[in-house]
Amino acid sequence: MLDWLAMVLLLAGAFFFLAGTVGLLRFPDVYSRLHALAKADNLGLGCVLMGLSLQAESLVTALKLLLVWPLVLAASAGVGFAIARRARALGIQPWRKGEP
Amino acid sequence: MMNTFALSIALFLLGNLVVALVAAARGPTPADRMLMALLFGTTGAAVLVLLAAAGGGTPLIDVALVLALLAAIGGIAFAKRAWRTEEDDRA
Amino acid sequence: MIRIFALRALLFAGLWWILAEGRTDGWPLCVVATAAAMWASTRLWFPAPKPIRLAGLPGFLCYFLWNSIRGGVQVAHMALRGRTSLQPALIELAVTLPPGGARVLMVNALSLMPGTLGVDLHETGLRLHVLDDRLPIEAEVRALEAAITTLFGKQP
Repeated sequence: MLDWLAMVLLLAGAFFFLAGTVGLLRFPDVYSRLHALAKADNLGLGCVLMGLSLQAESLVTALKLLLVWPLVLAASAGVGFAIARRARALGIQPWRKGEP
Repeated sequence: MMNTFALSIALFLLGNLVVALVAAARGPTPADRMLMALLFGTTGAAVLVLLAAAGGGTPLIDVALVLALLAAIGGIAFAKRAWRTEEDDRA
Repeated sequence: MIRIFALRALLFAGLWWILAEGRTDGWPLCVVATAAAMWASTRLWFPAPKPIRLAGLPGFLCYFLWNSIRGGVQVAHMALRGRTSLQPALIELAVTLPPGGARVLMVNALSLMPGTLGVDLHETGLRLHVLDDRLPIEAEVRALEAAITTLFGKQP
């Protein structure tokens, strides 16, 4: 039962990573790509970590796995904001609907 | 069976990472290329923990933690410093 | 004040315990690492910032977790439908949170909330990039603001 749940979570994680990459390929500008990577990839990582921690051999290993998540979340949120802010300071205009 | 499963997900994510890296490297702006810092942090950490589960052992989780930390520091340092010189060049 | 430092030390020691995977034979290193972390944290956070309310933490984490799931699902959906589903815009909103930790937390958390990405933070306002300006962005931002206010407690 737990094995099945873990597998479903890993598959969901892989799906969100794929969605993040699809977003990176299809979204028109750096701002919307940041949305895709920051949100979809982090959720994917969260699913993978949850799935693996269900399989972990001890509680403390599971906790250690889950500890990776807030660290990456903080990293992505901070880096995402920093990139968006610099892009804005460099004068990169966001894509508007109707443009090519 | 779980080992093989974790390993195949890890391979899938690796392929995903390669495609995303190529897409990010194509640009067109330097900001797009900086997205690589995000990609390495999240996908890299995911691949490492999957490899840990697929028989690599718990030390790989430490590697994932360090990678996540370095991605954060690297990204913010880049955003704060590297682009400043570029901005000065334009001015 | 002493309570804050004791909690911090406990947090660092707990982190060490997790990183060492529950082994206790390396405890002298744990003492050294906790002391080093305490030193670094007083250097970076001095004077001590207004502490968050521990009682508010579980509620905030649930709110954050739920909304980051919503955000991920929403952006995955948009990615699969392609750029025709987007209607991006830059918007300006006023922030009511006090300057400092609360604002920084908010602008960073916004990158993971549905549809929003923090672009700039200045004295009076907040600049956001939104994926689709037909979505109820302002309501989402206000909800996050309320959650952060609860986390930090009422201002004196």
